[in-house]
Amino acid sequence: MKQSFYLAIKYLQFHRIRTLVLVASIGLILYLPNGLQRLISESEIQMMARADATPLIVGAKGNSTDLVINTLYFEQQEIEPVSLKTVDLLNQTGFGYSIPILSAFKAREYPIVGTNLDYFDFRNLNIEEGRTLRYVGECVIGSRVARRLNLKPGDSLISSPENFFDLAGVYPLRMEVVGILRTSNTPDDLAVFTDLKTNWVIMGLGHGHDDLQKVYDPTLVLKRDSSNVTASAKLYIYNEISGKYLGSFHFHGNIEDYPITSVLFIPDDKKSATILRGRFESGAMEDQIVVPGLVVENLLQSIFRIKQIFNTVFILVGVATLLILGLIVILTLRLRKEELYTMFTIGSSRYKITEIIGFELIITLVLSLVVATILYGITGYFVEDFIRQFII
Amino acid sequence: MKNILLILGVMFLFSCGDQEAPKEKIGQSKLLVTSVNYPLHYFAEQIGGDLIRIEYPIPADVDPAYWVPDENALEVYQSADIILANGADYTKWMNNVSLPSSRIVNTSKEFKKSYIELKDVATHSHGPEGKHEHAGYAFTTWLDFELAAGQALTIKEILIDKLPDNKTLIEANYKLLKKDIEALHESMIRVGKEFDGLNILGSHPVYQYLAAAYGLKIYSVHFEPGEMPSGDQWKEYDHLIDHYPSSIMLWEGEPLPEVSETLKEKGIQVVVFNPCGNQPESGDFISTMKTNILNLSGRVQ
Amino acid sequence: MIRLSNIKFRYPKSDFKLQIDELSFKKGTKTAVIGPSGFGKTTMLNLLAGILLPDQGSVNIKDVQINDLSDKQRRDFRIQNIGFVFQDFRLIPYLNILDNILLPFRINKVLKIESNSKQLAKNVAEELGIADKIKKYPSELSHGERQRVAICRALLNQPSIILADEPTGNLDPENKRKIMDILFAYVRNYNSILITVTHDHEMLKGFEETINFAEFQKH
Repeated sequence: MKQSFYLAIKYLQFHRIRTLVLVASIGLILYLPNGLQRLISESEIQMMARADATPLIVGAKGNSTDLVINTLYFEQQEIEPVSLKTVDLLNQTGFGYSIPILSAFKAREYPIVGTNLDYFDFRNLNIEEGRTLRYVGECVIGSRVARRLNLKPGDSLISSPENFFDLAGVYPLRMEVVGILRTSNTPDDLAVFTDLKTNWVIMGLGHGHDDLQKVYDPTLVLKRDSSNVTASAKLYIYNEISGKYLGSFHFHGNIEDYPITSVLFIPDDKKSATILRGRFESGAMEDQIVVPGLVVENLLQSIFRIKQIFNTVFILVGVATLLILGLIVILTLRLRKEELYTMFTIGSSRYKITEIIGFELIITLVLSLVVATILYGITGYFVEDFIRQFII
Repeated sequence: MKNILLILGVMFLFSCGDQEAPKEKIGQSKLLVTSVNYPLHYFAEQIGGDLIRIEYPIPADVDPAYWVPDENALEVYQSADIILANGADYTKWMNNVSLPSSRIVNTSKEFKKSYIELKDVATHSHGPEGKHEHAGYAFTTWLDFELAAGQALTIKEILIDKLPDNKTLIEANYKLLKKDIEALHESMIRVGKEFDGLNILGSHPVYQYLAAAYGLKIYSVHFEPGEMPSGDQWKEYDHLIDHYPSSIMLWEGEPLPEVSETLKEKGIQVVVFNPCGNQPESGDFISTMKTNILNLSGRVQ
Repeated sequence: MIRLSNIKFRYPKSDFKLQIDELSFKKGTKTAVIGPSGFGKTTMLNLLAGILLPDQGSVNIKDVQINDLSDKQRRDFRIQNIGFVFQDFRLIPYLNILDNILLPFRINKVLKIESNSKQLAKNVAEELGIADKIKKYPSELSHGERQRVAICRALLNQPSIILADEPTGNLDPENKRKIMDILFAYVRNYNSILITVTHDHEMLKGFEETINFAEFQKH
């Protein structure tokens, strides 16, 4: 048997390219269904983990999946905004507390998430480098944003004008990066966090300027009467908020009417959550309230159905591949007829020859299994990162 | 067997070192309360007492309504468990900073309807938006002592919510404070009656709630205690006194002697009524208000 | 030492018939078998080797009735006593020269690879002038070199019988002579039997006996 094994190894070694191709093909066929299964399972786990970690989301009536995806994964699906008033109304119920989210803008393709410091406590996000947000106009970035854009505290990031609100008067804002978050292995690693008010500044709802009462430059003032001063367009509306202008920054109108994209609601307990949901369902409160876990679970059911289809396809492809491989083996044996007859002539038995061929097939299969196992192991090692990078 | 004993021994050694830790831990775990002005700080101090840690990061020489916290002060607010806000647009700097909103308590939220909207304030406009104002509401709500008691009540409720085991003590503390504030309210009602529709000048527009609550007619200019009013400011004063003749002018603090002299020549009595937005140099909120009331009382001839 | 008696053989579904009344080969002799293709020369070699069994008659080698042995016995006998040399060398392309020489030791348990087997193979390779090629593969060798490898393989176990089926068919004149010299030297040195099927009449003078199968075979 040892000699048969030796001869089998020699054959495979000599025809290494053919062997590699066979091993790779069979290995892939063995790996793919399992690898995909692992990928999908891990996606499910991660998506559900993120969803389950968020008790309730409140947003404008409409597509609940878009609302959840926008809020949890910062995929800026087009959703109707609600006003900040919603946060007050929710807090007044006494059932828990609210965290507003405004995710409609981007900075170099990364979502800008406007919120308040409660968000970081809620998500257990800690600062790795620098500090947390202090002033409007600052941002704290996820670890992967920092790595990919090579940013560190003290650098700046400019917001992009595009947004799904389709606003005309959006002001690109240069934001100072003040902190980098520790890696949390969640979508938070890929976000740019700012104070809610910073997003409103981007929307043009807030700004700073010299106090016009004290401005004496006649070219800056168009008209002045006892009750009003009208400024010319020359008056500089800053696209950068810094300590110099901080005191003069302000918002117009009623801040409670300002838009946000959603609200995370953290209920005190299950009973509070149930009662609150009841109020929405009864129409006592406008907008919609969703349980992210249920929405994501529904979404995953659809993915599960697709997975079934994939599995069936894989099985069919696998059978076809194995048939082709079988054909290749048979044709190869035909080509080796003379070689095998030589061995027989010299003094080998048919059994011995079968043993040699058998070992060739077994070694190929074992190597394929090893390849499949390595690929599966690599998948397992990188799957979380892969999912975070490409899926979530 | 030997290994188990070794492990147990090590665990025992580690556990021995923890005797001091619990005390420290309790100290550190006290609720940290901070506020945006002195009156709220005082109320929290009186109601919370030793049950809470209280920090007041506002420097002595500023008006908290116009103060912008530096990094150190902001860190105090960001790390606090409770941030007592005044409401009525008092803390404009909150619009420019990041805070954990769930910890901000608007102490005047129960009487938002009582907010006094500011009128006759100089506005500005720019761009296509047209006219708009920066002023909003008057914010010295605590000068209406009923509202002050309401703010104290809100503070009491939030402390009970956070420290339910200490409800009795908190209630007791609040009752004492409430009694003091109610006394102020009664005294001020009497003083209000003394003035009975007479005009009073204000050096600065900070007395709106005082006026509204106690029937005082206060018309204000924009003088500062440590400054000599400019020519334009005197003109504003003249304009005001023409329309609203008065013999009394309320000041947040003692004006410059020359200002007092000038006013005296104009037949104006200077009465210091310290709104006490920040910590007084001596005394506390109650004693300062008592002094204010005493200063105002008996001025009508 | 080799005797074929009253042999009658026929391939299934074929008209071909092989009939040998009496044929013997003595130790130390070199016999050339010539004749046109299709007269059964290779078939006779296969009968001698025990690869084929006669329908009738007997094949006796060293007093052993080959046709009475089982498949395994015949294989074992063949690998221990008979060395094969083929026209097209029949080297295993994926084994290096050393492994090709040692092939018989790997395909039948009756021959075992001992600790000195590799050295033995190297010695034989050296004798045949291909010691420097043992790590190469057949595709890297010339025809003459390949045939020498085949001969090493055939002779490594010192068989008493060498069956060569047109061993010089694919070689140039110089290599033909070299190969035949090697085989003749072996017969001399080991007193073995060499039976060579050949079409090369120029090689015949080295053989003691020549059997013309066209005359010998009676159809």
